[in-house]
Amino acid sequence: MRSLVRLSAEGEGFVPPSSNDFNLPPIFGDNAFTTKPIVMVFFSVILISIFFIAASRKAAVVPSKLQFAGESIYAFVRNDLARDVIGHEFMRFVPYLFTLFTFILTNNLFGIVPLLQFPTMSRVSFPYVLAVFTFVVFHYVGIRKQGLGKYLKDIMFMPGVPKPVYILLTPIELATFFLVRPLTLSLRLFANMFAGHLLLLVFIMGGDHLLKGVIGLKLVSPFAFAFGIGLTFFEFMVQCLQAYIFTLLTALYIAGALADEH
Amino acid sequence: MKGEENALWSIFGYLLSGLIFWGGVGWGLDRWLGTSYLLLVGLLLGMGASLYLVWLRFGRE
Repeated sequence: MRSLVRLSAEGEGFVPPSSNDFNLPPIFGDNAFTTKPIVMVFFSVILISIFFIAASRKAAVVPSKLQFAGESIYAFVRNDLARDVIGHEFMRFVPYLFTLFTFILTNNLFGIVPLLQFPTMSRVSFPYVLAVFTFVVFHYVGIRKQGLGKYLKDIMFMPGVPKPVYILLTPIELATFFLVRPLTLSLRLFANMFAGHLLLLVFIMGGDHLLKGVIGLKLVSPFAFAFGIGLTFFEFMVQCLQAYIFTLLTALYIAGALADEH
Repeated sequence: MKGEENALWSIFGYLLSGLIFWGGVGWGLDRWLGTSYLLLVGLLLGMGASLYLVWLRFGRE
């Protein structure tokens, strides 16, 4: 990627960033399992583990700064996401929601951490897998709670509707629960991370290219970099928000599956 | 607050799946029968049906 830019700067035209910039080569030899996103996923797991183990190891009544930070994140997921949304059975789902939130947040933030600078979730397979987890969890919870028959019946047949109308409505309900929900969940996360990374690439690589141009272009280049920096802060917001929304929607789906009436 | 947030996302999902499913049916029929207006009919039908579904679910109380 870097070499591509340099080549283009030496030659004529600017090569705009494209989806090719997301296909990173393997780090070790040509083993396809060691591409940057995969290495970063493992790194994020190690990072999260170290952080929360360190934060909870010397737990004290008067918390240290680290313990306070760890507990704040945990309390946020437990109280604001799980308890407020799911209700009295929330404690069962806190581990899943907490894992989901910290995992997505860390991987999103990699997008603006210097040297890493690649949001893992901009590779669509990762959000897909997370959405499959959520999909399995909320359907399983609903089936366990209400039985397969009643669960499906509740999804398919809205009460208080004349029978022929079901031909129109039942497919929509089924499509919503089994297709649109996991799909929107994963694509929302993926698209936000993808677009954000592309946006940063445009401004920063563009600024870099302008800097190598004639004097007039050199003068404009600081503005491109300034925009890039401003957008980095904006990306920080989006990255936190997307981690939050993914977890919130998972909690909402679980709450919906647990609810007795539709 | 919880209910409202839930409603917002569910409504979005319903509108989308109404369009996708019935629009898809219309598109498929168009391909099969060689017509060109059934996609539009399907999209409108899907939109109407999902709005009705949203009303049924959130507008009745």
